[in-house]
Amino acid sequence: MSLAAPERAGSTSTSPTARGLWRGGRGALLVAILVVAVAVTGVLLGGSGPEGRPLDPAGTSLSGGKGLARLLQARGVRVARVTSVAEAESQARQAGSTGSTLLVSDAFPLDEAEADRLAATPSDLLLVGVRSHLERLAPGVHPVREVRARSREPRCALPAATRAGSAYLGGTAFTLPAGATGCYPADGRPTLVFHPTGDRKVTVTGDGQFMTNLRLTEDGNAALATNLAGGRPTLIWLTPPETTSAARGEADFYDLIPSGVKWAVLQVLVAVLLLALWRGRRLGPVVAERLPVVVRAAETVEGRARLYRARRARDRAAAALRAGFVDRVTPRLGLPSGAGTDALVNAIAERTGQPAPHVGAALYGPPPLDEAGLVALAEYMDIVERQVGKS
Amino acid sequence: MALTGRAALLALLGTLVVLFAPRGGPAVAGVALLIAVLVVIDLLLAGSVRTLRFTRSGERLVRLGESVTVELIVENPGPRRVRGVLRDAWPPSAGAAPRHLPLDVPAGERRRLVTTLTPTRRGDREAVTVTVRALGPLGVAGRQGSHRVPWSVRVLPPFLSRKHLPAKLSRLRELEGQHPSMVRGQGTEFDSLREYVVGDDVRSIDWRATARRNDVVVRTWRPERDRRVLIVLDTSRTSAGRVGTAPIPLAGEVPRSGPQGRSRVVPGWPRLDWSMDAALLLAALASRAGDRVDLLAHDRAVRAWVSGTGRTELLSSLVNTMAPIEAELVEADSAGMVAAVMSRARRRCLVVVLTDLNPAALEEGLLPVLPQLSARHLVLLAAVSDPQVAEMAAGRGTSELVYGAAAAEQLSAGRRRITTLLRRQGVEVVDAAPEQLASALADAYLALKASGRL
Repeated sequence: MSLAAPERAGSTSTSPTARGLWRGGRGALLVAILVVAVAVTGVLLGGSGPEGRPLDPAGTSLSGGKGLARLLQARGVRVARVTSVAEAESQARQAGSTGSTLLVSDAFPLDEAEADRLAATPSDLLLVGVRSHLERLAPGVHPVREVRARSREPRCALPAATRAGSAYLGGTAFTLPAGATGCYPADGRPTLVFHPTGDRKVTVTGDGQFMTNLRLTEDGNAALATNLAGGRPTLIWLTPPETTSAARGEADFYDLIPSGVKWAVLQVLVAVLLLALWRGRRLGPVVAERLPVVVRAAETVEGRARLYRARRARDRAAAALRAGFVDRVTPRLGLPSGAGTDALVNAIAERTGQPAPHVGAALYGPPPLDEAGLVALAEYMDIVERQVGKS
Repeated sequence: MALTGRAALLALLGTLVVLFAPRGGPAVAGVALLIAVLVVIDLLLAGSVRTLRFTRSGERLVRLGESVTVELIVENPGPRRVRGVLRDAWPPSAGAAPRHLPLDVPAGERRRLVTTLTPTRRGDREAVTVTVRALGPLGVAGRQGSHRVPWSVRVLPPFLSRKHLPAKLSRLRELEGQHPSMVRGQGTEFDSLREYVVGDDVRSIDWRATARRNDVVVRTWRPERDRRVLIVLDTSRTSAGRVGTAPIPLAGEVPRSGPQGRSRVVPGWPRLDWSMDAALLLAALASRAGDRVDLLAHDRAVRAWVSGTGRTELLSSLVNTMAPIEAELVEADSAGMVAAVMSRARRRCLVVVLTDLNPAALEEGLLPVLPQLSARHLVLLAAVSDPQVAEMAAGRGTSELVYGAAAAEQLSAGRRRITTLLRRQGVEVVDAAPEQLASALADAYLALKASGRL
């Protein structure tokens, strides 16, 4: 039986070689390099990423104000981008006698004290879409209702507006104080109010979209914006600061976590990644095996039993039990296999002492009427068979 | 390449560093860089897996249920020590243990690793791959690679019924000449003459020889020798059904809950395996009795054919042939089987067909072509009955059990009917429970031999 002379067999490595890896992976590598190159080129050509803040003189997004800032600079207006009221004040002082225009948009969050300080500066005020603290900045101008922003006609005598023509305005309609000029009316209420008080001019617009990069090229938007903002040599552009909430001391939950913890979480993630790499690397391939079918031979019999039960086939079940009983009992009684029914019944009755009609009914009677009858029939035949075997 | 738990542990310790570092970003980058450097050092200093050379030796054959060892010699021709872990992968049913072996081979040396196989089913088991993970000196990372080191182990049928062999052989010896007067079958061969002893059958007295001598002389008889036994294994779908309980647990065998929530173990062995067991006992017995034994395995085509082997190699060639045969899920081609037997066995022989007494399959398959076979040969049909069916037939008490009993009776009636039909055609039928089949078949063979019907 044993052919077990020690045989020797060579071995071959199935791991990929460096050359094989290079050959298999160079296509994918080329694609990856191309994708990275395209992405880098796109980012470089696109310049610095667009600023998300609206009406920012450095913002290149659709809602930014870089276009207007460039226009004004081309016309010799110095654009000073400031991010706080204190800066604005100092810029206004610097501008001094030649004067300056202070642009405040609704994106800059003001409180009452700041509004008062802005109102106290000598600069002209250009309030773009500002609704809060209007009574401090532009007394007499009150918002009346919301109107839709769209292209509107000037319909007034203000030179800055008439020269510009139609512009994209709306947003808020205002009341018109005495001595002021209202332009671009919506339903009879002006959405641009020009209110000179003393040597100071205050201009209020209901909406700032005409100044954005998106709308600047439409209608007379650019002309209106430059007319309004370029009235003085210096434009102080009040832009919301980088982190408004932190600057105002309203830190949220994540600001309160020390930065070390955030980095530590990152480090834990790295550790988890390494753990996954350690546990995930299998020592060799999964071995599959073709297994023979596992089917129990008795399943067909069980299936037939369930079919009998599902269809309540008492007649067939009883017939099978009776046939089995007859096949077993006939030879024990010494009868030939083809013995007649009467002979069999009589022989059983004689041997066991059971009444012949009972035996006959059990063996050749009608099928049981219910399940209990079937169970009883099986038990009765068991008893008879035992008695035949004993006697 | 492969990382170890140390790399992850280092990263985890790095968390503490990062937590208390004045600046988090550089600390994270620094820890990552440190780990990367350690990994690279380990990868560079780890022994090469690719250059390892493997050699196998050990057993090629094993009986089902027994264990065998296969040796793997790892030779390291590289300049660096290879230290790590090795996996010698085998199919699950080869029962290879241990799964992972520690490996430490200094440069230029070789080590012997031993894998123990305890197969759980018959057939050929091929070694899959040998995978080595060689760790660097720091134990942070390592190289990993696989080698194909071919080896196969043939798992032979266990021949569990060989425990019956001594008893059957002693009965065989009883037949051979010990009690000559007991055997006066028509086909028995004349052996020799000897003096009459009291108790001998007077009918066996050879009067002519007695007349030549002063003594009363009787003829002695011995069972005929040099007969042919052709064992036919049916490997079709009916042989795939599992009956009895496996003497050797199968791979992946799990207890399953049957109807009524009874926990029932999946029956272990296919009919084919029980048939093989019986065939082996018969072959061993017949070859000792001086008969020639051939084997044919058939379903829709001839799957195996063993013929003309000498007495000494018979069993080993039989188990070798049987080892890879599995039952196919196809209907048996009985006409083809009969044709194959007729073409191979020109002289009269005992054809032992090991199949299932499945009424439907036999009535449509074997019965119509059986007269061809039984006209020239003596046919013995041996079948494994299902103990579970017998158990079901005894079910009483609830309607469910009684319906099960009825279904079992229905099948038994079919088997009885087919048995009667077969016997009417002059076919011997052996229908026995799985554990008793081998013994019953041997008894049937001895009875045939004793009556001189071979």
